[in-house]
Amino acid sequence: VKRIVIDRGRCTGNGRCYSLFPELFIDDDRGYGEVVGQGMLADQHLDDAQRAVIACPEDAIHVEEA
Amino acid sequence: MARDRAAGWRTVSEHGDVFRAADGTWVLASSDAVHFAHRNPDVFSSALAFGATGVPLPLIPVAVDPPDHLKYRRVLDPMLAPRVVNSMEDDLRAQIRDLVTAFAGKGECDAVRDIARLYPTQVFLTVFGLPLEHRDQLIEWVETMNENSTTGTAAPTATVVEAAMAMLAFMQGYIDEKRSQPADDMLSRVLSLEGEDAWTNEEVLGLTFLITIAGLDTVTGAIGFAMLHLARNPDLRRRMVAEPALIGQVIEEVLRLETPAPTTPRVTTEDVEVCGVHIPAGSPVMLCLATANRGHTRYEHPDDIDLAQSDRGHVTFGGGIHRCLGSHLARREVRLVIEEFQRLIPDYEIKAGFEPEVVWPSATLHLAALPLVFPPVEGAT
Repeated sequence: VKRIVIDRGRCTGNGRCYSLFPELFIDDDRGYGEVVGQGMLADQHLDDAQRAVIACPEDAIHVEEA
Repeated sequence: MARDRAAGWRTVSEHGDVFRAADGTWVLASSDAVHFAHRNPDVFSSALAFGATGVPLPLIPVAVDPPDHLKYRRVLDPMLAPRVVNSMEDDLRAQIRDLVTAFAGKGECDAVRDIARLYPTQVFLTVFGLPLEHRDQLIEWVETMNENSTTGTAAPTATVVEAAMAMLAFMQGYIDEKRSQPADDMLSRVLSLEGEDAWTNEEVLGLTFLITIAGLDTVTGAIGFAMLHLARNPDLRRRMVAEPALIGQVIEEVLRLETPAPTTPRVTTEDVEVCGVHIPAGSPVMLCLATANRGHTRYEHPDDIDLAQSDRGHVTFGGGIHRCLGSHLARREVRLVIEEFQRLIPDYEIKAGFEPEVVWPSATLHLAALPLVFPPVEGAT
């Protein structure tokens, strides 16, 4: 099982993740990204998760083994 | 450059990922080089680059390095977050609707003169809680400053100083007013910080000054470029009518291709190697966001709008700790303009024989004019 994580130290609030993939991310009070729930990835979201990794200008998003 | 940014930026990127320009400035032209600088703000100082602007004010927060920088951004980021912008959307939409309605019945407009120049300043006044009646005066001051700006450490001209002082005096009046009578706006919220968090008057003025010189003509540029590409691309417009959700991708691609603030300055604090090139400490550096946005390795069609690559990201808003504070507001402004313009005027084209040009050379890029023609909208005015 995989999950998606945001490195809070790297996120600067570009907002690409929650704009492009609202099923996986939401915006917080500062406009920074947060994963929805625990970030656990259902199979149908694996492709979107990989695209989110590429879309992040800060390389702050990673997919890892849960 | 004036007519063709693809060709213009190629003359920069063909010198390599990192190179030294004739004036001694080190240019970081590739995506990798720009990203490296964004991730190492201690080595690539923004404070040293913006410290000597000739303005006797701290340009908050761009002219502040870590660790103090975080203090300001923690206060400012929530004020311009997407959910805050959401709360203003109805008001901002009504404002652009009024601007479009004013010319819809005429069958022609200049998208720069009638929308792009006006709307960002209205939005700034709205966000700061200032009366819209000051719009044209504020535009005049800001344009005077931007059109006569000097580069590097050169002293500002008397014209610029005069406009800057007039604008700061204007802002000071409202700072004093909102300090005694706070309202529900961004300026009041900054002024309401207390104790250790409280800002000095110079800090508030510096923030205000930075937002007016960085957040108005850049959005003017972005709006004009969006309308230019849409006017030239009726197929894209038809796709947007069929699938309105595409507008986000269209905006990201326009922002990637047409970078209103194409370069940002830094100064190195230590010796550093970028993409195999050694840059000594104390060197002036220019991050070229516009060329980073057109890298052949990152984008399949670097010089064209391709919605399939809109999720590849871009650095038009910069990156790292100094990433544009107003990006969410800027994106929303562009989206509201496109939505309201095309809702009322779905079919339009550039006036026959007119060749759109950006004002060049210039530190920020925007079109000089964009005359559009369309079937007059009955009963719009």
